[in-house]
Amino acid sequence: MTDSPYPTGTVRALLETNLVTDATRSALLKRLTATPRPPEFFTAAEFTLLKQVCDRLIPQPDRPEPIDLVSAIDERLSSGKTNGWRYDTMPNDGDAFRLGLRGIDETAQTTYNQPFSSLTAAEQDNVLLRIQRGDTGLSGVWEQLPTNRFFEELLVEVTETYYAHPLAQEEIGYVGMADAVSSNPPGWTRIGLNEREDREPTPTTNHHV
Amino acid sequence: MRRYDLNEPVDAVVIGTGAGGAPLLARLAAAGLKVVAIEAGKHWNPAVDFATDERAQDFLFWNDERLSAGADPLPMGNNNSGMGVGGSTLHYTAYTPRVQPDDLRIQTDFGVGHDWPLDFADLEPYYNEVEQFLGISGPSPYPWGPTRSQGYPLPPLPLNGAAQLMQRGAAQLGINTSPAANAALSGRYFQPGVGWREACLNRGFCQAGCNVGAKASMDVTYIPLAVEHGAELRPESFVTQLVMSDSGRIREVVYIHEGVEKRQKCKHVFLCAGAVETPRLLLMNGLANGSGQVGKNVMAHTGLQIWGEFDEDIRPYKGIPGGLISEDTHRPAGRDGGPVDFAGGYLLQSIGVMPVTYASQMARGRGLWGDPLRTAMQQYNHVAGINILGDCLPYAHNYLELSDEKDVRGLPKPRIHFTNGENEQRMTAHADRIMRDIWTAAGAHNLWAFPRNAHVIGTARMGHAADHNVVNPDGQSFEIPNLYISDNSTFPSGLSVNPALTIMALSLRTADKFLAAN
Repeated sequence: MTDSPYPTGTVRALLETNLVTDATRSALLKRLTATPRPPEFFTAAEFTLLKQVCDRLIPQPDRPEPIDLVSAIDERLSSGKTNGWRYDTMPNDGDAFRLGLRGIDETAQTTYNQPFSSLTAAEQDNVLLRIQRGDTGLSGVWEQLPTNRFFEELLVEVTETYYAHPLAQEEIGYVGMADAVSSNPPGWTRIGLNEREDREPTPTTNHHV
Repeated sequence: MRRYDLNEPVDAVVIGTGAGGAPLLARLAAAGLKVVAIEAGKHWNPAVDFATDERAQDFLFWNDERLSAGADPLPMGNNNSGMGVGGSTLHYTAYTPRVQPDDLRIQTDFGVGHDWPLDFADLEPYYNEVEQFLGISGPSPYPWGPTRSQGYPLPPLPLNGAAQLMQRGAAQLGINTSPAANAALSGRYFQPGVGWREACLNRGFCQAGCNVGAKASMDVTYIPLAVEHGAELRPESFVTQLVMSDSGRIREVVYIHEGVEKRQKCKHVFLCAGAVETPRLLLMNGLANGSGQVGKNVMAHTGLQIWGEFDEDIRPYKGIPGGLISEDTHRPAGRDGGPVDFAGGYLLQSIGVMPVTYASQMARGRGLWGDPLRTAMQQYNHVAGINILGDCLPYAHNYLELSDEKDVRGLPKPRIHFTNGENEQRMTAHADRIMRDIWTAAGAHNLWAFPRNAHVIGTARMGHAADHNVVNPDGQSFEIPNLYISDNSTFPSGLSVNPALTIMALSLRTADKFLAAN
């Protein structure tokens, strides 16, 4: 992975200003200050396995404190919240996660004769890739759970959770949260190609290498 | 706000406060009728409640789970209905093109699908009225369609990076483009009966809620007008039953508010709950379905997106998301200049995007994960998209039904079957080439396609004949004379434009037809 070209610390600095609204500040602070919580929906073993899976889907070796993705997913599932739809071929979200995690371990066993947690990162990636491609064989869990749909839904949730985090947004140079509705002049005025406001960070490294 | 008694029959109960319900609510109230609007979601105060944060704004979507079936299952949630006073206009992109006259006669012109039982001339005065009232920002004159009797009340919004790039690429290919019509104010605007609304601040956040009232969602336009004229709003109220009298009319609307069942006596009902909840309520109650067409004819616009990366700084979170339009593909030619192999057509639209949405699409559409995903996401400030919005034909295999699975309210979850037909596949292939050509001409690299369909349409079709339509051209049920439907479920065809403006125009027309007859 290439390092982020954008400077760090910009989102936290923005939250100190009136460039963000109270509602925005409150939403972002909640995520910035969230602390890991013990699982409510998952068992301890499922929780650990899901964390290992998240570490492969969104590896964060560059972050001294990786963004916590599993707690947010556990919280979502324990609250029973959904995003308004699911594939008709899939069970409800909670069952899909539980079954799919079992399936990940089954595929690790059938491929390497070991549980997922004992595999190297490259082996773990290979297991996940087989699941993504539906290349697991229709045994065990995958007899009842569509392999590729499970992977798609898992990946989407993990990805959305990561990029909803203010520090992940800082990493990609997003500062849309600074909508400056109470500034003078309010809002964004420099919106065309290559136009930038002072509050939009510039890359500190060459962008296209 | 006026209040009406549950046991005093009101003139009309309006179910749903989105683009189908709000305009007619205001019209009926202005005519002096006693009207009550029942809305499943909350009545938000956008200035205080709305964060500029995608995830925090999830509450705008209809998040009760629906089941998506078929070969091209339709994403719901943020892709479709809204919950809250204002309905899905709380999160629509505010793109408001009119139909062109031939959109309404696809059967006559191509021999497939269904014509509308009304003409462009029936809609035109209502388009004018809605555009003037909402303060649509758009170009005058408008480059496509019939000459307009009235221009847009405000000039177009400024173009963002994606719009400028599409303009550049299309120009090289000889494709005409124009700043698009958008229901967001390019200047401060006075709305009769409501007051002043402030201009758009280019937050680019239309799809997750406008916090300044510049976007013309119903909660800042027709809803306050309706309340001003004496309508009562009952938010956080979920309708479960329509109770019939012996004479075959609805006499009572049953809804749940804060866990308590309420019964509102009424003389008429306007069902405006959108193309999923409208047929769902009718099917749950076994009503208005003598034709067997309730829930049938599900259509969803072809909505392929092509994304590209550019050397330029784009910052796709700024500016109205759909800044530019081309309707040159409304009735397109083939690559060789000859005829195309599909019916209907589509429009082209430049698109900006918020980061979680873009990341989510990269995961779902490209299957990227690990380092490749994080690396690709670092190009976020350099991405721009084009998408189409194209017609869709009705098929027997696309329909909505009640499933055996119950939701948290104990009501059956709807299951929506959707599979694109050959016509949609051919149209999408045609559009895929054109959009790639435009982006390549504009200097894009790393192009990728996100296949999608948008806007559920057509589950309670309007038409002239009672034996295969649910409502007549005025929106009135063929079977239950005091039931009207006003939302995208009545559309006989998909249309090659975004539906919101046409839903609002039809809503006012339905109200006027009702008032003339009663």
